Amino acid sequence: MNGSFRQSMAWLHTWSGLLVGWVLFAMFLTGTASYFRPEITRWMEPETGAPASASQAAVGAVAFLQRKAPNAASWTITLPDERQSVARVSWRPEPKAGEPERRGRGGRGRGMDATLDAATGQPVTPRETRGGEFFYRFHFQMHYVPVLYGRWIAGACAMFMLVAIVSGVITHKRIFKDFFTFRPKKAPQRSWLDAHNMTAVLALPFHAMITYTGLVTLMSMYMPWPAMANYQDNQTYFAAAFPRSEEVQRTGTPAALVPLPQVLEQASRTWSGGRPWIVTVNKPGDAAATIEVSRHSGDKLSYRNGSLTFSGVTGELISRTPEMGPAGKTGSVMYGLHLGRFAEPLLRWMYFLCSLAGCAMVATGLVLWTVKRRRQLPDPQRPHFGFRLVEKLNIGTIAGVPAGMAAMLWANRLLPVEMASRSQWEVHAMFIGWGCMIAYACVRPAKQAWVETLSAAALLVGLLPLVNAATTQRNLVSAVQQGDWAMAAFDLTLFALGGLIGFCAWKAARHAPQAPAKRSRLVGEPA
Amino acid sequence: MARKVTKTAKPATSAVVRRLDVAARAALASVGGYAGASLAAALLARILPGPVAEATTAAMLLSFAAYAALAIWSFADPRLLRLVLGFGLGGAALAGALWLSLQVEPRL
Repeated sequence: MNGSFRQSMAWLHTWSGLLVGWVLFAMFLTGTASYFRPEITRWMEPETGAPASASQAAVGAVAFLQRKAPNAASWTITLPDERQSVARVSWRPEPKAGEPERRGRGGRGRGMDATLDAATGQPVTPRETRGGEFFYRFHFQMHYVPVLYGRWIAGACAMFMLVAIVSGVITHKRIFKDFFTFRPKKAPQRSWLDAHNMTAVLALPFHAMITYTGLVTLMSMYMPWPAMANYQDNQTYFAAAFPRSEEVQRTGTPAALVPLPQVLEQASRTWSGGRPWIVTVNKPGDAAATIEVSRHSGDKLSYRNGSLTFSGVTGELISRTPEMGPAGKTGSVMYGLHLGRFAEPLLRWMYFLCSLAGCAMVATGLVLWTVKRRRQLPDPQRPHFGFRLVEKLNIGTIAGVPAGMAAMLWANRLLPVEMASRSQWEVHAMFIGWGCMIAYACVRPAKQAWVETLSAAALLVGLLPLVNAATTQRNLVSAVQQGDWAMAAFDLTLFALGGLIGFCAWKAARHAPQAPAKRSRLVGEPA
Repeated sequence: MARKVTKTAKPATSAVVRRLDVAARAALASVGGYAGASLAAALLARILPGPVAEATTAAMLLSFAAYAALAIWSFADPRLLRLVLGFGLGGAALAGALWLSLQVEPRL
């Protein structure tokens, strides 16, 4: 690093971006999709109906749980909002004598959970799928590696990204200035044409925000030392930072549970119109029963909006979580900004588009690496190993991740419903699709590989609405007829994304190797 | 790009020296940066005024900015020796201050 400050930063930007670029691209794209996590889940569970009111769902959920688990230690009901058509319930049995009571989200994943139709409260058994949850989980904890390792990998990649953003801003300082200076005759056209700068600078506040807040979502894991300096362990810190309602003991005196809608209404009034979200009923059917209602994470910028605890018998408000201090609120708002749950449809689409710009930024950055170096190669026909590796991984990942994600949705529709470990095979389909693209890129010349893999990805994505129509009751026309705009928009978005990838494939195909330098940068064919 | 310019500026720098330089900086940035940010954050959590949980959260929130700054500095400073000394002495000072702060119970 003996060059100037800017040169060092350019070097750092290049290498910090390249080293983790492929993982970052996958994280960014699956994270982008996660802004529509409930919609993806609805799409992947075609057996479920349309969204209904939360209080209707609550009545059904309580009736179901009273039948199914009357003597449970607690019930947890995740109420649907206007984006979900099912309520998810789980329950936790009373601990055996001498066993410590474990708190948390109940018995989910251990046969003590159910999915209920929001309108009827009847259990529905959608096909076994991880739904939109998979993209969401993958984007911060990877797959095929233990969750903890995956989170460390994601954290390291996010840190690289943060360094790449800071060094990139330093490197591109002049372009940044140009951006706010209108000089129609002097402004270098090149900077406007440079896709990397466009996608990076236009949405720079988003990229910086999303990277930093991403680290914040798992900060007590990545940076436990402040907690270690003040507390015995992370758990004690959590208990102090995010206090929960008091534990209650069963008295043995039976008492009828207060009707849930009444409690939810009171909660909503207390929050001046806020939405109840997760309802935990402790010791249902007992005189000591309590009902903890936490506020919807999308009600405010903050992700943690506190909870209210009511008596399960009288419905009286017993306690509420204390207000957080400035630091706690800042952290919760950063968390909320990352998840974007507060975003109403228009803003959510802005999130989606900015996030897509982030994917494009990573992708164009990766391509630029090869474009810049191709001209310096001693023999452009026979590039060295490192160059070929980057080029193949670029093709196989930029086309392969969207293709793989689409393959997962194909698998969701085409795998037999009764198939064993079906949801796992859906996930395998994504990695098989992605892997095939990398393998294909390895055996084809670069230009053909770009055109063919991008075309395949475009078809896989763009044909999904037709697969949907052919394999389920749902299709674009029926969605419009029923006013189910989320599912209609889902199909239209798939068409649009398929078209976008198809456009990239078309540009790659039209690219002429002898074109002037600026054109040849796009695909990076040897001149 | 930067690599080329650097070479013309200092033609005597051999490839091996350059690689060692880069490796040392990468190690300082990743390991040193994390250690430095951890020490600073832990110290901050001990000495920030206000409720303990608040100080802890604030220190965690700031730690990633510190890490990024240290990583940038690892590649920005032209003199490797200054970096090594900076990380070493700075880390020792932070560690000393943290140790002292941990002797004060419950907290400053």
